[in-house]
Amino acid sequence: MIDDRHVPDFHHCSDHCGEQPSILDLPHIPLGLKQEWLELETRRHFLGRGAKALAWAGLASILGRTAPHLLADTGALIDRRPHFAPKAKRAIYLFMAGAPSQFETLDYKPKLAGMFDQDLPESVRGGQTLTGMTASQARLPIAPSFAKFAQHGKSGLWMSELFPNTAKLADDLCVIKSLYTEAINHEPAILSMTTGNMFPGKPSLGSWLAYGLGAINEELPTFVVMTSKIPVRTNVQALSNRLWSSGFLSPEYAAVALRAGNEPVLYLQDPKGVSRDVRRAMIDGVNDLNRQLFERVGDPEINTRISQYEMAFRMQTSVPDLTDFSDEPASTWDLYGPKAKEPGTYAYNCLMARRLAERGVRFTQIFLRTWDNHTNLPTNIKVMCEDSDRPTYGLITDLKRRGMLDDTLVIWGGEFGRTVYSQGTLKPDNYGRDHHPRCFSMWMCGAGTRPGVSYGQTDDFSYNIVKDPVHIRDLHATILHQFGIDHNKLTFKFQGLDQKLPGVLPSRVVPELLV
Amino acid sequence: MPMRRAIVLFLASAGLAAAEPATFGSRVVPILEKNCTVCHGAEKQKAELRLDSHAAILIGAKSGEILKPGNAKASELMRRITLPEADDDVMPSDGKPHLRPEEIAVLEKWIAAGAPATAEFDAPAMVPAVIAPPAAPDYRLRLAQANELAAGLGLRLVPRSRVVTDGLVLRTASAPGRCDDAAIAKLAPVADLIVEAELARTKVTDAGLASIGTWQNLAQLDLARTAVTSTGVARLASLAKLESLNLSETKVDGAGVAAVRALPALKKVWAFGTAAEPVAP
Repeated sequence: MIDDRHVPDFHHCSDHCGEQPSILDLPHIPLGLKQEWLELETRRHFLGRGAKALAWAGLASILGRTAPHLLADTGALIDRRPHFAPKAKRAIYLFMAGAPSQFETLDYKPKLAGMFDQDLPESVRGGQTLTGMTASQARLPIAPSFAKFAQHGKSGLWMSELFPNTAKLADDLCVIKSLYTEAINHEPAILSMTTGNMFPGKPSLGSWLAYGLGAINEELPTFVVMTSKIPVRTNVQALSNRLWSSGFLSPEYAAVALRAGNEPVLYLQDPKGVSRDVRRAMIDGVNDLNRQLFERVGDPEINTRISQYEMAFRMQTSVPDLTDFSDEPASTWDLYGPKAKEPGTYAYNCLMARRLAERGVRFTQIFLRTWDNHTNLPTNIKVMCEDSDRPTYGLITDLKRRGMLDDTLVIWGGEFGRTVYSQGTLKPDNYGRDHHPRCFSMWMCGAGTRPGVSYGQTDDFSYNIVKDPVHIRDLHATILHQFGIDHNKLTFKFQGLDQKLPGVLPSRVVPELLV
Repeated sequence: MPMRRAIVLFLASAGLAAAEPATFGSRVVPILEKNCTVCHGAEKQKAELRLDSHAAILIGAKSGEILKPGNAKASELMRRITLPEADDDVMPSDGKPHLRPEEIAVLEKWIAAGAPATAEFDAPAMVPAVIAPPAAPDYRLRLAQANELAAGLGLRLVPRSRVVTDGLVLRTASAPGRCDDAAIAKLAPVADLIVEAELARTKVTDAGLASIGTWQNLAQLDLARTAVTSTGVARLASLAKLESLNLSETKVDGAGVAAVRALPALKKVWAFGTAAEPVAP
């Protein structure tokens, strides 16, 4: 229990427009932080408290602030125009969680075939710290890929036999073989990939897009996440809503996670006997109460709650149409495969992603787990590829034939790479691979990415990058660029910093990846 | 039911443009036109400076030379475009968008190479497609009118970008059912600003295409899953800037595609799920 005799008497400086001491009078607080606080306070009250808020806006502008910052978080008042004409209207991010091995998928290393069970030269490893999973191994023996590669299409891209369908798209894919990250373990790595930072609390890529560009379709969420049924019951890594959180941005920019089954959004259906009018009246009543509370305490989360009630109300009509696949032509099932009829599978989610894109959802992120093949890699990766190859191919082919690939960016990849040396048992047809952040492979497709290209190069061991490194910050900058966004200008002031997706370290758009 | 075919028709190659040699004309002029010549060109000559020809650039401004060929660092042009955005002397001035780092890098390389008028220079790779010719008239003065008009019809007209000559996008996804031929006809006063019309799943029919056929700056038109037929598509035959047309899952047949095939800017037509026959590129 808190003894309220000892609770200090707080005064709410910003609420009183100079009637009481201002925060600016307080000692020991850097001026920059005081100003940020004033700004936040101004944003909070802007909608509900016209005149006073304007007075504060005036004060903040005297303090050297510009209007767009003040107006952040007031929804309609944010400048949602892209900085320049976008190529991508929407993106579908196929997130291969757990980190697929580059050796069996995209980064063909023929020289390894003759090096089975040889020790990885120390000169290649270069003293790198390994994970706890292999640091104590007596040897680091080389494991060549069991999967065969062949060249495909006019581009001659080398594709793995494990992706026989995706290989048909060789001339459409923009493969990057020289991505790198700092994190060597899943949680920091997957957070870096999804939010640009390995610490929790930053907005995810989809949230930045929702904040920066707004909705195309106001009846559906701007950012949707789907997790897929696990094809293999080993090497399962956890996923959490940290990966699609809006961080310090307003929670309305967080993803709505669609569930598998006949209730994709929980509690969306009205109970029997509750009509749409009754529901409307109830929401109006709750919103009224929430507005009164907002008047009193000025917490922006209350406005978010109001907007979420409204979104839920609209989704009551937009979601049933979205999830009713009965209007799909027979060719859909040929493309995505029969599993697309089973809710929650990766195939189902790919088809759903196309339906979301058609309806104007900006950013759809599908997570497919269990690529984390520390052991039994050949067996497990075969299942993973079989589960995902045809739907991935189906999605891109479907977008292409419907004229949507020109403005839909598709991204495929995990959070880091895997090691050339085997973890544990090593046989030609059975081995494992540990985490490897120094290089990994991904691909993009559509929306002005350069088709039929392989960019960047790793050494013979796919251990170090030898040409054209691409940090994941550069990937983020390039993705934002395709949406017409200058990655250095999409910012939000928080904790004294103009926060942005790629963070403060240098990042660049990679022109070689773009048409 | 006849078998529905999946057909993508590529009327013009959308392949990669061959790399053009980097010269003053190919790399520097587009940057100056995008960022500078509004104030330093044929119409206005602020500070008595023109940046719309090689000769004029070498002459300089009222205050003197702006270039030291071979020495980018000592060139006034470089100094002004690399000042902090808050600096009074920064160019472009009056809050206009700053030059992008890649653009600055091209100018720097060009000056360092001696600012040649025609000779090639070693220009860095540039992020493509940001520099575009005007797509429509400046929307600033009529944006409020356009927004009001669209909102009254349950539609949205949103700027394609902050570049004020990039035009407006007609957006209907929130309620495609509200967009019908009558609504389309009422957009006539702002039709010259519309460069892209997202009309998939709307109630637009052939009658509406008569209105859209007069939208002279329209570059992208999506009619997927509407009730349009070849008769309506033929009404688009004077859209000189139309680049892409999506007719997927409509009643359009080969005659509709044939009617627009000759349009000068047309690059792609999609006719998935229609009776149109494939056409060779």
